[in-house]
Amino acid sequence: MAPTGTQAVLTVEGLRAYYQVNTYGIEREVRAVDDVSLHVNANEIYGLAGESSCGKTTLVKTIAAAIRPPLRVIAGSVSYRFGDRRVGLYDLDGKELAEIRWKHLSYIMQGSMSVLNPLRRVRSSFVDFAFRHIGKPMPEFLSIVETHLKRLHLEPSVLDAYPHELSGGMRQRVTIALATVCRPDFIAADEPTTALDVVVQKSVLAMIRETQRAMGASMMFVTHDMAVHANLSDRLGIMYAGRLVEEGLTGEVFRRPAHPYTAHLIASLPRIGDTHSREGLAGAPPNLADPPTGCRFHSRCPLAMDACKRDVPEMAWISDTHRVACFAAKTGAPA
Amino acid sequence: MLKILRDLLRYNREFAAGVALLSFVVLVAAASFFSPYPAADSFVVPPDLPPSWPHVLGTNSRGQDVFWQLSFAIRNTLLFGFSVAILSRIISLVVGLVAGYAGGMVDRVLMSINDSFIVIPLFPILVLFYFVMRERMSWAWLALAMAALGWAYDARLIRSVALSLRTREFTQTSIFSGMSMRQILVEEHLPYVLPIVFSTTMNNINWSIGLEVTLSVLGFTNVDTPTIGMMIYWANQHTALVAGIWWWIAFPVALVVMTFIGLFLLAVSMNEYIDPRSRLARMGA
Amino acid sequence: MRAYSLYLFRRLVQFVLVVFIGVNIAYVVTHATPIDPVEQTVSAATSFGSTSPEAIAMMRQSLRELYGLEGGPLQQYAAFWKRVAVGDFGPSLSAFPTPVSQLIARAIPWTAGLLTVSTLLTWVIGNLLGGLAGYYRRSALLRFAGILTMGFHPIPYYIVAFVLLIVFGYVWPVLPITGGAEMNLAQAFDTTYAGSVLVHSILPVASLVLVGLGGWFMGMRSLVSNIVSEDYVLYAELAGVDRRRILTSYVMRNALLPQVTGLAMSLGAIFNGAIITEQVFGYPGIGFLLVGAVHAGDYSLVLGVTAVSIVAVSAAVLLIDLLYPLLDPRVKAQ
Repeated sequence: MAPTGTQAVLTVEGLRAYYQVNTYGIEREVRAVDDVSLHVNANEIYGLAGESSCGKTTLVKTIAAAIRPPLRVIAGSVSYRFGDRRVGLYDLDGKELAEIRWKHLSYIMQGSMSVLNPLRRVRSSFVDFAFRHIGKPMPEFLSIVETHLKRLHLEPSVLDAYPHELSGGMRQRVTIALATVCRPDFIAADEPTTALDVVVQKSVLAMIRETQRAMGASMMFVTHDMAVHANLSDRLGIMYAGRLVEEGLTGEVFRRPAHPYTAHLIASLPRIGDTHSREGLAGAPPNLADPPTGCRFHSRCPLAMDACKRDVPEMAWISDTHRVACFAAKTGAPA
Repeated sequence: MLKILRDLLRYNREFAAGVALLSFVVLVAAASFFSPYPAADSFVVPPDLPPSWPHVLGTNSRGQDVFWQLSFAIRNTLLFGFSVAILSRIISLVVGLVAGYAGGMVDRVLMSINDSFIVIPLFPILVLFYFVMRERMSWAWLALAMAALGWAYDARLIRSVALSLRTREFTQTSIFSGMSMRQILVEEHLPYVLPIVFSTTMNNINWSIGLEVTLSVLGFTNVDTPTIGMMIYWANQHTALVAGIWWWIAFPVALVVMTFIGLFLLAVSMNEYIDPRSRLARMGA
Repeated sequence: MRAYSLYLFRRLVQFVLVVFIGVNIAYVVTHATPIDPVEQTVSAATSFGSTSPEAIAMMRQSLRELYGLEGGPLQQYAAFWKRVAVGDFGPSLSAFPTPVSQLIARAIPWTAGLLTVSTLLTWVIGNLLGGLAGYYRRSALLRFAGILTMGFHPIPYYIVAFVLLIVFGYVWPVLPITGGAEMNLAQAFDTTYAGSVLVHSILPVASLVLVGLGGWFMGMRSLVSNIVSEDYVLYAELAGVDRRRILTSYVMRNALLPQVTGLAMSLGAIFNGAIITEQVFGYPGIGFLLVGAVHAGDYSLVLGVTAVSIVAVSAAVLLIDLLYPLLDPRVKAQ
């Protein structure tokens, strides 16, 4: 039933990434990503949703090789397929990694407001990041960049500006342009529109979708905003407390959410004409340094059973493309 | 605050080293109370003896035992540094806190004045002060003068702590929950302000002792009271090095360098402790 | 351009304020004495030899004005300021009748040279080492350099200068330990003189540099270790930008900015260090002049040096402040 991983551009298996800190005699291990397995196909936007500190940022950082101590990969693997080449991300050495960065794998960071060097013009960031990958002499390179910018509805004059001279939305768009100028196979995007106001957000999202379709790239798009996922993601994965709890085609997940947490997330979206008040979930997300036994959601779950406190539910397929990790879902109880 | 000190002592090697060094220095200073010779007396022992028993650090050309002189010297030097630090703390705290909390024009005016004191070279002014005071120059006067001039750098640091505290969320929450300003200052903000006061005090003591040594060596202070600088001054007057009486200079220098390094280590480790990133890593205790 | 003019104006106002406060402090300090300083000074100066009555009268007049004793309090203040503003401190008492301003003018190039060279060396080397140490955290060589520079840092200038004097003057006498140049060499713009100046400046510069390195090293290292976790550095690393390029264009450039400001703030302290170093090595700058003046009871000279120091340091700070916007494009927008 499970789709094969050989077509996938990104394959994650059994990934565990923890923060391990030891200062002043206090030792803490925060299990930010705990045994996650998923894959992303070609020409697909995979959305990753969940509330704050559920581990989605850590996950996307891990697949973009953007982690540093005290965050470490404890177990599992992350592998990519770029054309005919397969690479295991954490098997590469520094030079090989630098070679695929930006050319095949790029990353749009959370808080893209401040990712450009404040003391240099925008042009120098493009030169630093992309020049060596494109491999053409400078004048030709610059005209490639300008064409790319124009395609994304950006004025080429933006290259002469300093970052602080651009508005937040502008900077975001420049960052997206920067991340896509080499036409990478895979783009990891972490909350690229969260800090923007709704109007700008709409145009930036449209730009992202356009770019992705035009390049045929794959994307992992992280945001807690379910409305954005509804508009953008082809497939959707829901994370809770460091674990992937549900995954499927976006339409499927929205129409028939199988996990009680997903159901809550979707129900919290306002709908036109809907007048009844929204309730928040009782309780708070668990402490990832000291996670509860069994299913991590059991303390807040309306469908919790005894098994939920003891055993960790594994991901199980409930259709060709839809899987969920929940005892209640497997027994067919309504969400 | 005590908990902070205890944590530092247990886990921070620099802090522990600083405490060890300073304890040694303070012990030597405390020994002055048991000195068999009064500080001001000269020619009580045979002069120019190299280190040997019973004069473990030797004697100087004025017929004084170097060890006992040193104990007086370091005691006076430490007391001096401490007094200057305390006095200038008052000014630094007032200026820094007022500027940080009041903000706006008050802040700008205070900081302009503050920066003037940072830029102005203090040494010529202190020299001028001595020049005018001459024989009437006493340690109290010098301490007052240095405190009146040396508060600016620390005031700026305290101000930036106050600024960040004022704008932080928990301050707003406290205000909304009806806490009085005085309550907020004492209960919420003081734990953040105290560490920076501590580390600036250490730096200030270093600075004032350094300045005292420099002024004394040049003979610009009261020559009767023994301090570290004074010992070096007298040693120079008697051309100790040329005469080969190296112990007269070496031991005061060694002891004062120990003091400096000790205070410096304390200040540095305290600074590292208050650095927010290390604090975040410590949370959850 | 308008924003820069505003910035320029603000900095100029600050400069004037600093000089004003500084010179006022000097004025207040001289009024701390209750006795009549003029007669005391005059009698001390004239005991050195025969001086004409006109010279004594001129001395007394300028002293009274400098001490601010002529006329009522307001007139005293005005007279004092008039003299300071013009730079006329009257004749030096210890080198009578040479005017103070001439003595200072002769000494200033030495101090200026000493300070410029040692400050530049200290700042550049200290920041370079500190930056590298902050970036390449695991380098044992850099860590050793750190311990070395930080070990010297808390030691006062005097002691380091003194130790260098002993080591290179007595124990291993290879370097000259007094004077700005060979004593009998004529002052001229030729290589022999220049060479002599150079050799004589080695020890004073060395003692200033050794002590100063630690401060810049520590500051830069902590700045750099903060900056490496800034978004724009992380992002550049993520993009696989060459490490050396990140170090220079992203990290160092940004870290140096606060260090430029820090330089302006520490000029006063560096100046203090230069004074004592000149004394130890008999280097003929204004620090040396100052100490000699105090010992000789030469009030006019002491006041002159103090006033000139205040103005000079403030002017240097102003210069740095004015250059800062050229380095930081964000300032123009304020």
